[in-house]
Amino acid sequence: MFGTPQYTRDRCVTGIHGLDEILRGGVPYGSTVLIGGTCGSGKTTMCIEFLVHGAKMGEACAYFAATEPSVKLLENVRQYSFFDMEMVDKGLINVFDMDVLYSWLGLTKATFDRDDIDALVKAITDIVNTIGVTRLVIDSVTTLCYKVPNDQLIRDFLFTLGKTLATQGCTSFLVAEITSAGAKAHWSSFGVEEAILDGIMVLGDIDRMGHLLRFIQVVKMRGTDHSRAKYAVELTPMGVMLTPMLKWGVGA
Amino acid sequence: MTIEFDQRIAEQLTEVTLNSSIQVRCGTSNAFLVTASMVEPLVTEFEMGGVYISASRPAPELIDTLTEIGVPLGSIQFIDCVSSALLGGTESPYTNISYVDSPIMLESILLRTLFHLRQMPTEQNFVVLDSVNALAIYNEERMLAEYLHTFINTFRARDVLTAIVNVPDQTPPSVLSNLDLYCTDLIDRGQVVIS
Repeated sequence: MFGTPQYTRDRCVTGIHGLDEILRGGVPYGSTVLIGGTCGSGKTTMCIEFLVHGAKMGEACAYFAATEPSVKLLENVRQYSFFDMEMVDKGLINVFDMDVLYSWLGLTKATFDRDDIDALVKAITDIVNTIGVTRLVIDSVTTLCYKVPNDQLIRDFLFTLGKTLATQGCTSFLVAEITSAGAKAHWSSFGVEEAILDGIMVLGDIDRMGHLLRFIQVVKMRGTDHSRAKYAVELTPMGVMLTPMLKWGVGA
Repeated sequence: MTIEFDQRIAEQLTEVTLNSSIQVRCGTSNAFLVTASMVEPLVTEFEMGGVYISASRPAPELIDTLTEIGVPLGSIQFIDCVSSALLGGTESPYTNISYVDSPIMLESILLRTLFHLRQMPTEQNFVVLDSVNALAIYNEERMLAEYLHTFINTFRARDVLTAIVNVPDQTPPSVLSNLDLYCTDLIDRGQVVIS
C-alpha cells in the first residue's frame, strides 16, 4: 500500500468476514467479478453471503442458478444462520433457474448463436431493470458458456453482459468452475473470461499432508488496491471466515 | 475425585490484563492439574467465557475429568483436534465441542476459535491452547512458530486472554524462544518438585 489514494471508488461491501479488508473496503461498485473455484471450495456459499448482506441493507439481489435447481440450492443454504428464507419471500433475494429462463426465451438448442446470446443478455438485463437489482450472481457462468460454441462468442457474451450490468449499477459475481487452482491453472474454464472481467477471485484447496485446506486469493480487482496473498477459508454457520494463510504452510 | 487446585495460579491470574498472553509451562505429570487450576478461577472467579483448544487429548475425556473435579464448563466451547483421527472419536454426547480434522489444520483452528468467540455471551473471554508440544508432533517447527506469532497477536488485538500451554522439554527450541518473546506473562510449573 502506498497510503490513501487521491480518488477512491465507492464500494459494494460484501459483508464477508475478512474479504472487505482484503479489498480495502469492498468491491468497486458496478464491477463484474469472476469467482473461479474448484468443487467444494465455497464459491456458492460466498456468493449467497454476498447477496444476503445486500438484502440486509435493503438492496434487491438476484441469483441465477445454472448448476443446481433453486429448490435444492435453498435447501442447502438454509443450514447457515446468516441466511433467512424471509429474504426470498420478501423479494429481496430473487432466485431464478436458468433452465426456466431458457424455456421462456425458447432457447432449447444445444448450442447458442449470437441472437440467442443477445436474447439472454437482454432477459437478464430486463430482470435487473425491473427489480432494480444491485447485486447479481450467476452460478455458474461455466455451465452457461458450455452452450456457447466458440471463444469469441463467450468473450462477446461476457463483455456485453458485464458492460450492461455495470451501466445499471449492478455489482456482479460470475462463478466459474475450474479443475485446478494451482500456479499454472487458468482462473476460468475457457481462458477468455479472466481477461475481460473487472476482478478475479480464486478459491481452491491446499493439500496439507492429506488434508484439504480451503483458500481464497484475489488475483485482480480493477479500481482498488488489494492484497494478493492467499487466505485460509472456513465455512461456518455464520458465513465465510478468512485469515491469512501461514506462509510456511502454503507449499508450492 | 477431588483435586487440590494450585492457588498460586489463581493469584497470578489476578495480575494479568485481558490482552495478556500467558505462557503456561508444565511438566508431563502435572499438566492437567496446572490447566485445571487455571481454567477454574477464570470461569468461577472472573466469570469469563472461553474457548479451549484441545490438541493433547480428546475433548470429551477432558470435559469428563474437569466436570468430575467441579469445574463449571457451561461457558466454555471446546475445539477438539484429536478425536477426528480416532474412528468413532467424534461420537460424543457433548454439544459444546467442535471437531477439527487434524492438528495440522492450524488456520482452521484459529478461525473456529474466532467463530466461537463471536458467539460468546460473556464480555470477557479467554482462549486456552493445550498444547504447543502436541501441535509440534504434527507441524513443522517454522510453521508452528509463525502460527503462534499470529495466534497470540490475533487475540491480543481483540482483548482476549490467551494461555499457551507447553511442556518445555517437548517443545522445539525455536518455538519455545518465540513464546518467551511474544507472551507477556509466564506461569511456570515446568519443574515438578517431588517432596
